[in-house]
Formats: sequence, structure tokens, C-alpha cells
Amino acid sequence: MIRKRILYILIFISPIVLILLTLFIGRYPISFSEIPKVLAYPFLKNKSSIQETHYTIIWSIRMPRAILAGLVGASLAVSGAAFQGLFFNPLVDSGMLGVSSGAGFGAALAILLFNRSSIYIYIFALFFGAVAVLLSYIIGRTYNTTPTIMLVLGGTVVSSIFSSLISLTKYVADPYEKLPAITFWLLGSFASVSRQDLIVGLPPMTIGILGLILIRWRINVLSMGDREAHTLGINSNLNKLIAIGFATLATAGAVCVSGTIGWIGLIIPHIGRMVAGNDNKKLIPISCILGASFLIIIDNIARTLTSGEIPIGILTSMLGGPFFIYLLKRTKGGSW
Amino acid sequence: MDDLAVQVKNASFSYGKKQVFHDISFNVKKGEVFCIIGPNGCGKTTLLDCILGLLKINTGEILVGKVNIKKTKPQELAERVAYVPQTHERRFPYKVEDIVLMGRASKTKIFSSPNSEDKEIAKKAMEKVGILELADSPYTQISGGQCQLVMIARALAQESEIIIMDEPTAHLDFKNELILLETVVNLVRENNITVIMATHFPNHAYYFETNNIPTTLALMNNGVLEKIGNPGEVLNENNIRQIYSINSKLIDYNLGKRFIKQIVPLSIVKDA
Repeated sequence: MIRKRILYILIFISPIVLILLTLFIGRYPISFSEIPKVLAYPFLKNKSSIQETHYTIIWSIRMPRAILAGLVGASLAVSGAAFQGLFFNPLVDSGMLGVSSGAGFGAALAILLFNRSSIYIYIFALFFGAVAVLLSYIIGRTYNTTPTIMLVLGGTVVSSIFSSLISLTKYVADPYEKLPAITFWLLGSFASVSRQDLIVGLPPMTIGILGLILIRWRINVLSMGDREAHTLGINSNLNKLIAIGFATLATAGAVCVSGTIGWIGLIIPHIGRMVAGNDNKKLIPISCILGASFLIIIDNIARTLTSGEIPIGILTSMLGGPFFIYLLKRTKGGSW
Repeated sequence: MDDLAVQVKNASFSYGKKQVFHDISFNVKKGEVFCIIGPNGCGKTTLLDCILGLLKINTGEILVGKVNIKKTKPQELAERVAYVPQTHERRFPYKVEDIVLMGRASKTKIFSSPNSEDKEIAKKAMEKVGILELADSPYTQISGGQCQLVMIARALAQESEIIIMDEPTAHLDFKNELILLETVVNLVRENNITVIMATHFPNHAYYFETNNIPTTLALMNNGVLEKIGNPGEVLNENNIRQIYSINSKLIDYNLGKRFIKQIVPLSIVKDA
């Protein structure tokens, strides 16, 4: 009991510790003793002398990047956990209803039509992410029976449509300038994030995460299936719509900041289950925290492992693939 | 009229053009067990789904208490009627306690979770059906019979006056069937709950009757209730021959302390 409590406390403070640690890691050398000074700088009355470059690197580059990585990880993990409960399927992830491929297409289109670092990337990514989910939802509602299966099917269909639209965008893109930009964006990276990304990405992600944390117990009831949820006194269509709305906000916010990052929405909830069990009341907050920590760590690896940046989407999948196989093996045993 | 739990008046239902039942009327009194028997595919489950508000009848009306369920929200209906499904698919290894707590959903606001009072109610429900020691077990690892008791505890935690059970003993062995029946008797007797139950075992009705539980039996066939009445009136050799085309024999024993009444199938009626 005490061991479990210590574990929980460690998990819950891990993102903060990791964000602080991240400030010490990077290619630009700043001495360890310097960093606390730079951190304290805005709060001190009698300003000690610090280098402006150091201030910019800590406060405008490393800090926003670490916070964003944490938020993106939390968003993807929490929506993945919610979707697994909603669709009572432990193998779905946050992109289930096509939000990732929709947002990916939006961003690709924006890069094609405008330029690499325009605000249109956000707008297009958010818009098409939402359109994709809406389409999946409409397809899911066409039949009156077993809407859950239809939703999953709708999501698969819509995802594949948007994936082919992404390919089409790549095909027509200028191969020297636009095509690499699109490709790198789709691989997912925090390399170019700034405070502006924090400002744009923060609202949808926090609203989405908080919404799902608030509605988390209802996800338990919804995972009993539509029939039983209804007889337990829940308007399952409305509740599902609300949960899907929050998950879409969180995921779309994440995707438009960092590009498509796979696997987190699938893996992290399962690690969460091993720690906290299946009750979404505990699972959703744990997934949120674990997702944040996981992506902060991965991002640190991505930016320090080689002299260049490794796209983070590559790393999560590389670590995620073997884990997925391990997971399938475990499920077969039926122990979790 | 105050002693009526459910009134079904001239109800008809069809899936598209395929009519499932038509012009069905019956009353369920408070504190009784209302058994519905009938051959496979006669529409029992559909009828129960309509009372549960899962399906909407095409014509007629269904009153629960005095309220027409056409206008009630799932939440209000759940406060009056609870449901024990025929088969429950166990998808995630929730703890037994978590499942029973879900019975409190209708009383829990959308953005909150069950509180300590709800937990106390869930605990009492588990105690009532005798599964308290399973509270912390993953419900994917308990037997089918125990799972059915978990479903009953969940319905009980809902604190509604009516529990609808759809073939609750369908997959249970001899002993678990009896445990379930005893639990139902217990609930009706001590918690004054009304039970509407679809079953394939005509003798369940006799079981309740010989345990001095007010029992009504309805025989459903071809989309209508062909007979309604107390078990003795409905479950006789004649009606069984008519509906199931089998010869049977009604047997009763006096065991000294109690009576046992059962109808025993003998042979299939050959077309004459």
C-alpha cells in the first residue's frame, strides 16, 4: 500500500522534475551553476548579471519545448485512454476517428499553399482534424444498430481517405522545397517550436485534457456498451459525443503543434493499466502524467542523440513497435 | 392503480416491416415476479427492451409507475427500472466493486464520480447478494454465475423499484441457477422489488409461487401474450402442448415442509 503510494507520488511529480532536468540538457553549453540563476532571474529584484543568450535559450527555447512535449504527450495519452474505453477496444489510439490523418492533411495542404512556418498550418490542421472526426461520427450514426462498431469503421474509412489525400498533396508538391517540409512535419518534431506554439496549442490541449479528466468516470459506464449504459441512466450518444469532442480538441491541438506522433495514445494507457488498473477514474490521470513524462524523455533523446534532430515520430514508433509486440503477448495470457 | 409497477397498453413493435409483437397489454403489480416464457424468437427480449426504453414501441403506451416512458430521459427511467442483461460481455478487467458502483451512474453528475455514500450503497448491494468478498477481484476472473450476481448487485445499487432480467439463468449450472433464484426471492421478499423476468424455464414460475412470492406468468407466442395468469392457470399440460408442441406432465409433491410443483416435458407431439 505504502509502496504503491510512493510510486504514485513519484509518477505525479515526474513531469515537473523532467521539465527542470530538460533545461540542463542541450547542445549549447551552459554551466550547471548558471541555470538556476537564469531561472530565478525574472523573479529577482536585484538583477545579477546573466548572458542574454542564456536567458533566451532557457526561457524561450528549452522551457517552452519541454512544456509543449509534456502537454502533447499528455493529450495523446489521455485521448488514447478515453477512446480505448469508449470503443471498448484496447487496441485503438488517439487517432482512431481520423483526427491525426485529418490534421496531417490540413498541415500538408497549408504547407503546399502557403509557406513552412505560417499560422495557416495550425488553422488547417485543427480544421481538417475536426472535419475528419465529424465525418467519422456521421458515418457511425447512419445505422441505428451498434454505433460503436460503425464509429470504428467510420474512423478507419475516413483515416484512409485523408491518408491518400496526404499522398496526393505530397505528389503534387515541389520536390525541392515543399515536399521535404511536408515530410518532416508529418514525421513529427518539436525542433521548431517556440512560445507562439505554446500560445496556440495550449488552449485546445488543456481544455481537452481537463474535460476528459472531468468526464473520466462516465467513460467507465460508457465502456459497458450502449445498451447497458442506457439502462444505467446515461444518455450514451450525448456522453460519447462530449468525450469525443474533448479527445478531438486535445489530439488536434497536439498534432498541430508537433505533427503526427504515433503510438503514445496506444502504449501509454496500457502502461497506465499496469500501474493503476482499468478503472478510468485512476487510469485517465495516470495516463496523462505518464504520457507527459514519456514524451519529455523521448524529446530529449531526439534532440541530443545525434548532431541533428531525429524526428520524434520515428523514435516513438521505434520504441513503440517492440512494446506493442510485448503487449500482444501479454494480452494473450489474459492476465491484465 | 397505485399498486401497479408497469402497465403496457396495446403495445406494438416492428423492426422495419417485420412485426415482432402487436397489441400487447398487461399489468405488473408492485412486489411480484412477472415471468415471461415463450419459444425462442417470440419477442421476449424485444418486449423487455421496449420497457427499458432501449427500443421505442410503434403504437400503444408503456407506463412505469404513472409515467409514460416515451417522455422520460434515460436517467429518470434508470431511477425506476434496472436491468440485468442476458449476457454481459466482460471487456476490461474492472474490479467487481467498480462494476457495482456503475449502478450509481444515474445519480452521479456528468463531471463527477461516485462518493463515499455511493460506495456504501454498492457495498450493501454486494453484501445482499453475497459477493462482498469478491469486491476487489477482477470481474473477468470470476465465474459466470458470480458475474450474474454482480449484475444483480449493480441493478440493486441503482435503487430502483423494478428490476428487469433477461434470461438470467441462461448459462448457469444447477447450483448457480438456484443461487440466482434464491437471490431473486430474497429481493422481492425483503427489498420489496418488482421483478420482470424472461425465462426459458417454465418451472421458475412454480419455484417462485411455491416460495410464496406473488407470481404472474405470461406465455408469449407469435408476437402476442397468449395466456396471462398465475402459474397454475397458465402452465398446464394443454397450454404447453399448444405452444411448444410437447407432451408434458404436471407433478406436485408434498415434502412436508413445502410443496414442489413442476411441469416435466415428456415427448414431442407427432403431427397427427
